[in-house]
Amino acid sequence: MKRIRIDRLSSQLLAATPARPPPSSNRIPRALAASRLSPAPSVCQTRCQSTAASPEVIYEDAGRDVAAPKPIDYSKRPLPSPHPDRALRSAKLAALHARLSLSSKIPLQTLARTLIDPSADAHPRFNNVNLAFVGAALLQYHTSEFLVTRYPRLPMTILFAAMKGYAGVPALHQIARAWGIEAAATPGEEVDPGLLQFAPDRPTVTMNRWGYVRAESKELQRYKWRRGVSSRILYDDAFGELVPGESEQSHDGLELSKQRNTKDMIVEDVAQNAHANFVRAVIGAVYLHCGRDVAKTFAKAHVLSRQLDLANLFNFKLPTRELVRLCARENFDAPVARLLSETGRLSRTPVFVVGIYSGTDKLGEGVGPSLDAARISAAINALKSWYLYSPGDTVGVPSDTLAEDAAPWKPVYVDIGEIIS
Amino acid sequence: METRHLLRPLSSLSSSTTTTATASAMSSSTSPFTRSIVAAATGRRHQSTTSRTKKMLKIPPHPDFLTPREGESHIIYNPPSAAPSVYHTPFKFLPKTDPRRQANLTQLIRSSADLSGPSANANNLPPPSTKREGAPKMYNVTREQVDEMRTLRAEDPAKWSVQKLAERYKCSHLFIMMCCKAGPEHKAQERERLEAIKARWGPIRSGAREERKKRKALLFKGAI
Repeated sequence: MKRIRIDRLSSQLLAATPARPPPSSNRIPRALAASRLSPAPSVCQTRCQSTAASPEVIYEDAGRDVAAPKPIDYSKRPLPSPHPDRALRSAKLAALHARLSLSSKIPLQTLARTLIDPSADAHPRFNNVNLAFVGAALLQYHTSEFLVTRYPRLPMTILFAAMKGYAGVPALHQIARAWGIEAAATPGEEVDPGLLQFAPDRPTVTMNRWGYVRAESKELQRYKWRRGVSSRILYDDAFGELVPGESEQSHDGLELSKQRNTKDMIVEDVAQNAHANFVRAVIGAVYLHCGRDVAKTFAKAHVLSRQLDLANLFNFKLPTRELVRLCARENFDAPVARLLSETGRLSRTPVFVVGIYSGTDKLGEGVGPSLDAARISAAINALKSWYLYSPGDTVGVPSDTLAEDAAPWKPVYVDIGEIIS
Repeated sequence: METRHLLRPLSSLSSSTTTTATASAMSSSTSPFTRSIVAAATGRRHQSTTSRTKKMLKIPPHPDFLTPREGESHIIYNPPSAAPSVYHTPFKFLPKTDPRRQANLTQLIRSSADLSGPSANANNLPPPSTKREGAPKMYNVTREQVDEMRTLRAEDPAKWSVQKLAERYKCSHLFIMMCCKAGPEHKAQERERLEAIKARWGPIRSGAREERKKRKALLFKGAI
């Protein structure tokens, strides 16, 4: 089946736009920014028919910057990234393939492609943008279904933070480091294909954006408007972060401080972003070559198997009041703080152990240097044990039913919502 | 060689200083004075090597820290009880559909007995942490009294302070502050007074206040 190449369609439409933003800025263009790739149509037709693995694709990046039809000796120009054929001779790549226990269905050329950041090679046929986009979508789906079924009572802000803790850029950067990925000093043709290639001074793209660009996104960034949690669920990306709108600079007089406004648009840490995109691209490559189930197993084994202490993500403002509201909502008896034990009440370092009881049931227990601190920490512990309720490790996720011989779906527990939101 | 020294009894150690037989006979009937000298010398010698020091420090634990016999009362629990994990959901927080709720029949019967009313075993519960904790709420202030306290507070906020009004109407300070506000000039005056007090604080007291704020923030994060 032949797919429509959307990027090539748009490249014909946008052939007049410049190939790249000026290299001094590393701002993020829109996801799938078509204006980034604008090879001259004639050049593209001669070379873009081949796949990444085929040997006759030597010249396409060289021709990209040159829109003039005059003949150029392409063979003299260095490629921005190593030739795909060199992947077969790279010891580092073979070692990485073996270390990750990847299936033999995944060719080394694809693995080499996952290591090329768009800042090193802007051509989407030779960098990992598209693979990373597929991988990010899969990874965020599996992470969110894992979290929602495993911890059905998590508040939305904690859920966003947990998503970031499992599938966010810093976590994926750590995973890539644990896989033994090293970065090349500078991307180029002569670099070993087993090294991660990115250029910190050139523009890159974040392919993890999956959301709706709000109409007011510019004002949200400029004036720091408040975004409610409901609108973050509805409009923003999987981590509850704003999808940045057009990256073009606004030159109107309303702008308060250019430095502050552009801060959100820049990739903070290019190296971290490149490492994270590599992990996503590997998941995308596994999905493309081995299928859905293998990709899910891979994501589970490498990302979801990591430990994240959800109890540390909470920050309460009025824990005692929230607990009272919870007990009233659930028709429990009103919570009462009871003194379980104490020592050194009149000393310099007293310790009080306070338990929160509803009726005769103990809901939580806390220790503190004063009665009030102990009561607050007991209320916090009680609320955490409410929010961190889990139906167990064996609870199924919706994607389990996609397998052929899957058991019928048993509905999971769905909580009615947060106490104070 | 060191082990040999260690194994040698104290008496032979003291006798080793004297070589002749007569001297050994003397040491066998030593006076308390010489014995104390020997003990002091051997005590100093014990700390000269690691093994001797370790041997000296090897003392049995205090009986309070040992596991008591059955039926004996004790106040020190060994090992001490750990704080319960927040991942262990209390029975009351389990949803109706959870299989753990059905499996734990004793808890189920107990909690259903609780719901019927104040149960008999409420006396077995630990005492409330403060006197006001768990006391039923008093709704003793009438609307007329609220109007009255508002006029009182408005006409002389210095005389009718929040504390005075709370004493008079037997309600909490918070309720007074919810009901009536002082005028802006009284607020400014109070703020000035507070600022003057704060200006007198030295570095220790103001630092302690800052520390207290930080501790409070850590408490709400669950970090301490």
